[in-house]
Amino acid sequence: MISVKHLSKVYKNGNSEIPVLRDVNCEIAKGEVIGIIGHSGTGKSTFLRCLNRLEMPTGGQIEVDGVNILDRRTDVNLLRRKMGMVFQDFNLFDHLTILDNITLCPRMLLGKSREEAEARAMELLHLVGLYDRAGSLPSELSGGQKQRAAIARCLAMDPEIILFDEPTSSLDPTMVSEVLVVIRRLAREGMTMAIVSHELEFVRSICTRVFFMDEGVIYEEGTPEQIFDHPQRPATAAFINRIRSLEFRFADKHFDLYGMTGEMGTFFHKYGLSNENLVKTRHVIEEMLLEILPFRGPVNLLLSFSEKDYTLHMDFAEEGCTDTVLDKLPPACLPLALIKSMCSSLQETAPGRIHVEM
Amino acid sequence: MRKTGVLLMFAAVLTACSTKQLVPVAMPAGVEDLVGHTVAVAGGSSTDLLLSQYEGIDLMRIGVGDMPMAVKSGRAEYAMIQEVQYDANHMDREGFRKCFGGILKGLNAVAFRQDDTETCGEFNSFLAEMHASGEYDSWHGGWIDNLDSMAVATSRIPVPRDGKKITVGITIVFPYIYQAGETLTGMEIDLFNRFCRSKGYTPDYSIIQFQALIPSLNAGKIDAVVTHLMITPERAKQVLFSDAYMEAGQCCFGMDPGWVEVEGPGFRERVKDSFHRNLIEEDRWKLLAGGLLVTLEISFFSLLLAIVVGALLCFLRMRRNVVVSGITRLFVNLIRGIPVLVILMIMFYVVFASLRLSGVTATVLSFGLFFGAIFSEVFRSGMMSVSKGQWEAGAALGMNKVQVFRFVALPQALRRIVPVFKGEVIAMIKCTAIVGYVAVLDLTFAGEIIRTRTLDPFFPLILVSLIYILLSRLSGALMDALDRKLNSTK
Repeated sequence: MISVKHLSKVYKNGNSEIPVLRDVNCEIAKGEVIGIIGHSGTGKSTFLRCLNRLEMPTGGQIEVDGVNILDRRTDVNLLRRKMGMVFQDFNLFDHLTILDNITLCPRMLLGKSREEAEARAMELLHLVGLYDRAGSLPSELSGGQKQRAAIARCLAMDPEIILFDEPTSSLDPTMVSEVLVVIRRLAREGMTMAIVSHELEFVRSICTRVFFMDEGVIYEEGTPEQIFDHPQRPATAAFINRIRSLEFRFADKHFDLYGMTGEMGTFFHKYGLSNENLVKTRHVIEEMLLEILPFRGPVNLLLSFSEKDYTLHMDFAEEGCTDTVLDKLPPACLPLALIKSMCSSLQETAPGRIHVEM
Repeated sequence: MRKTGVLLMFAAVLTACSTKQLVPVAMPAGVEDLVGHTVAVAGGSSTDLLLSQYEGIDLMRIGVGDMPMAVKSGRAEYAMIQEVQYDANHMDREGFRKCFGGILKGLNAVAFRQDDTETCGEFNSFLAEMHASGEYDSWHGGWIDNLDSMAVATSRIPVPRDGKKITVGITIVFPYIYQAGETLTGMEIDLFNRFCRSKGYTPDYSIIQFQALIPSLNAGKIDAVVTHLMITPERAKQVLFSDAYMEAGQCCFGMDPGWVEVEGPGFRERVKDSFHRNLIEEDRWKLLAGGLLVTLEISFFSLLLAIVVGALLCFLRMRRNVVVSGITRLFVNLIRGIPVLVILMIMFYVVFASLRLSGVTATVLSFGLFFGAIFSEVFRSGMMSVSKGQWEAGAALGMNKVQVFRFVALPQALRRIVPVFKGEVIAMIKCTAIVGYVAVLDLTFAGEIIRTRTLDPFFPLILVSLIYILLSRLSGALMDALDRKLNSTK
């Protein structure tokens, strides 16, 4: 149904150019439910908006039902009628009631009579559970209700595919599920959909295929099982396991201890790690740097935290080091004993490279 | 609180003192005696020029109609006015006294454009014939000797209906030129109508503010100035004067020291009297009604034009093309930076000087342009308040840009701008009060003419104010109705 080849999009900001999409290739068939995941700013929304040409791609090719939509002669308005879109911010028409929001376009663009359009609208409102809110203005609805109304508005045009652009990102956590239930129902009824979302569990449960986007390309794609349980590439795994990391570089033993503590504090606080964890981690780093590592070259430290497993890892690496460190220490080394008492595992994976798991 | 109290007491004492000073011991007998006093004069008039040469005279430049009130309230001790006007209005009966007269006695003549020797020659030969036939004496004597009964005397000299057209600039000064109901009459109108009858002209009189008369003549807006214009060497450099047709002078007046304010009639009586004098006598209400119609006409057409211009400017301003939007922004800021009165004068005297546009047309164009620039920013703020998401949602459903604009953006923008727009429209209606500067006889100017004629400082002003308030409320109510209509979506 949709075929994308070498799609690229560059944003111009003054004189600088920011490439958002580099080379996106994919096929979407009728009846598929595509989940698009990835970090913020990796072009997920841009990709989606290129599909109905809300953004004009810089290069590449998009064909919908065999028609090249990037051709200037293609009637983009006709194209959009069969591709519905649901926005993060709902974008209901503020001045119209929910009923008028839904019937405006079917009447104007599809030539439906008022009765016909309203009958269909009421059906759809029933479907999304807003049958009694037909006469309300958007401002009188909650976020979740607005998004359900927006989905109904979209369905009223009888689209062949619906593009969901982060449909739950603007919602209170309490309202997310009422919207997901509606989308799930559409999936069950065989609607073709492409969904950009941060609700990973949701994507995993309803999608037939998942695209992980990074670095302006579809970095990895596969079934939900492949992507979520057996990611093949490191960036995918890091994303799935929600690994957060912090890096330090120490030139010698006279490093800025207080600066480092401050940065770590911010990091720990941001991901909800306890103060106790912070104190322990700092002790390990201090002992390691001041007592154990000989500093034959600058030392790099990677601190990584997996939100999914709630584990904290540290990787110390001495640059340009060919000799091992740990086995050269005396058996009754007090600092090493101290570190071991605070962490769950400690090993030298290669000469000068020490992995600590807290 | 206490400070305010002390201040108030101080002010009261001052007022009491100044009231006493209102009774001077000796009245001035000549211009020299005015040194050290506050004197009201008509701005730009020959008295203004004369008194400016004396050091120590505190000049207060106001309209002739405001002079009696200025003197009565003590803001000016004396005022200079046309002697005939003082006599004809019987100002002695109002508690004033003429201090001295015969000042600036000079010859009055008709002014033509400097290259217009032909018409000027015709006027001179007409004047010579008048003198020869004795008609001059009957005209001059008929007016000057009958100042008492003049209020009812109206000129009925028939003028040719389809003769050569001549546009004549005049200012209203009783008894030379004044409006009796809808008829323009007075000593000078009488004279000029006789000239027109004799030489086959059809006069078109245009009431213009005094200061604007000579510029209008030189800009080609009018062909002659008939307003007891005194021949001075300065003016003779700018215009071509005919032979003099009369001699006139100014007088100086102040409060009569012996005047005792008689226990006047009650408030209701006075209002009734003012009402009669300012509206009923000589059918003056017709003047006001005509002015109101002109104000409505100007407001309506200016509003229409301003909306069109505003929408166009707003459209251009919101183009993505930097050059187009930049030039439009510059233009809008330029127009908004100039007082609308100055735009009006530029339009009338400079831009359209060669085209013989009527004052009303020039006014509508100026107001359309100025308020168009203001409206464009109002419209733009309305359009900017429609979020990008609304446009995207419309586009994503398959509407084209025009459809999104018409059915989504415009209705939302309109509802947001109506309250601001309402204020601007009312401001515009009130702003039309300045059109007197380009000889348009609107409501304000009509009130001014009545004031100059009846020398009643209050009544016409208050009446005109009331009418403007009514207009504002009416247009406000219309806009509110529009607002309600836009906001009722169900």
